[in-house]
Amino acid sequence: MSIITVNHLSKTFRVKTKEQGFRGSIKAIVTPNYKEVQAVKDLSLRVEEGEVLAFIGPNGAGKSTTIKMLTGILHPTMGEINVLGLDPIMDRKKLSFKIGTVFGQKSQLWFHLPPLDSFNLLGRIYEIEEGLLKKRITNLTELFEIADLMDTPVRKLSLGQRIRCEIAASLLHQPEIIFLDEPTIGLDVVVKQKIRDLIKTLNKEFKTTIFLTSHDAGDIEQLCKRAIIINHGQIVLNESVKNLKYNYMNQKIIDIKYTEPVVIENPELKVLKSKGYAIKIEVDSSKCDLDRIIAELMKLGKVVDITISDPPLEEIISGIYQEKAIGGDSLEGAK
Amino acid sequence: MEVKKHLNLIAMYFKFNLSSSMEYRASFLTQTFGMILNNSTFIFFWWILFENIETIGGYGFREVMMIWAISSTSFGITFVLFGNIRRISQMIVNGELDSYLLQPKDVLINIIASGTVISAWGDIFYGLILFMGVYRFSLIGLGMFIFFSFTGAMVFASLLIFANSLTFYMGNSQGIASLFMEFMITFSIYPEGIYRGYTKLIIYTFLPAAFISLVPARLINNFSWGWFSLLIGAVVAWLIFTYYFFRRGLRKYESGNLIVSKL
Repeated sequence: MSIITVNHLSKTFRVKTKEQGFRGSIKAIVTPNYKEVQAVKDLSLRVEEGEVLAFIGPNGAGKSTTIKMLTGILHPTMGEINVLGLDPIMDRKKLSFKIGTVFGQKSQLWFHLPPLDSFNLLGRIYEIEEGLLKKRITNLTELFEIADLMDTPVRKLSLGQRIRCEIAASLLHQPEIIFLDEPTIGLDVVVKQKIRDLIKTLNKEFKTTIFLTSHDAGDIEQLCKRAIIINHGQIVLNESVKNLKYNYMNQKIIDIKYTEPVVIENPELKVLKSKGYAIKIEVDSSKCDLDRIIAELMKLGKVVDITISDPPLEEIISGIYQEKAIGGDSLEGAK
Repeated sequence: MEVKKHLNLIAMYFKFNLSSSMEYRASFLTQTFGMILNNSTFIFFWWILFENIETIGGYGFREVMMIWAISSTSFGITFVLFGNIRRISQMIVNGELDSYLLQPKDVLINIIASGTVISAWGDIFYGLILFMGVYRFSLIGLGMFIFFSFTGAMVFASLLIFANSLTFYMGNSQGIASLFMEFMITFSIYPEGIYRGYTKLIIYTFLPAAFISLVPARLINNFSWGWFSLLIGAVVAWLIFTYYFFRRGLRKYESGNLIVSKL
């Protein structure tokens, strides 16, 4: 069952423009010029209950604008939105009891106060009964391992600690959908992984639907089953992450280690790195048979170790962006 | 029911803000007493003036002190309860309304009540002390004073919300808002008799400073139902007008991507 339905959504911003320099400033006061910027153009999508969806795109693609319209922050210029059977603008208050939102760059915790104070206040705002609130705070602090941070003012927390508190805070009212806008931005590898594990747990244990935007290919690969890629406010691709990798990932990386130095002469293989014994090769699996290539490589010498891997999703996505940007019909851009 | 919910929200933030102001006890006390002292200097100014002149615009020393007391307490109540009023414009520009729009509460009340101005406590106490000093103590008098301080606060608040909400329509209006505030303060602390013609028209309509202290002072001295109804009518009309002005503006809200924290 779809719990988010978006039909032909558009959002236009009016932006004041000014010619450069002092003269331009004077002119802008007398005769201001505006230009229209279409942040989102005719966007339609659906999200199913319990799904983990990645909503990805480069900076300025319209990701945050879309999330802001889905959560009732921005009024759409055109189109229809239905989230959990509600209109985000007309039923903003009703909807806010059912959704949770975390903006990596915006805090909902009070900067000078310990998270516990913010949690209690948020509990009151979301009209959670006191006993229940206490129980939920205990559960969430355990799950997010933030129990010993609860009485430290937010300003003294590290970014990773703060984000964990932010996500926990957005779950106090047990939302059915959670919108995460760049939740791992600026975090180190270990903390990123922790956040990802938490998001996975959320989806599995509480069946929370997750709508995630991220720049980080790792987030998408590890968390999401489906990805929607947008650029210039339009959907470029709407596919399962598996298909995305399959269709746009003909390139395979082969790391192979021999007992003695070998020389590779096959022109189908691109040697990325060679240290004599250890060689890193790139193969285009759409052009040549992997079976044959591996057999050939095995014949070259005694193999100690071999791994075949996909290139990181980041590269694939940037390939798709380029391909769509030039409007090409080949997949060359993706490669 | 809705009104009760709004009042509950205001009360909740009031307690929350008060307890967080108390965390910094020294700062709370110095700011409060600092403001009382600051305001007190004006008493001497008027006292010296009235040593030489009998009345100004029909007001004697006592009347001037009374309008001072009412506007000071009104101003204090506005900023103790709705401290974020002075930041609305900036919050709109910075895209700080997002987190309020995500919560199941009335946006305007949620925004303005979620912050406080500590020094405004000084204005409240100053007005109260001044009133008790110049007016003979009576429960009715005190009741009226408190009541009119609240109506005054509503006039202050609605005008400042209006000025700040202009940001939705025309870009940053912080400057206009502070101009409006200065205007409202200035015109509510001088004797009514000195205003004539258009000025008088303006302070009863477009910039309703008269309803903060001048009309209440008249009512405390000489109560009349006609003036009382006019006052209540003006307060309600301004509240409704600014509330809808803000709500309409909200449609034009553009958010933003500035990295912000709740202070």
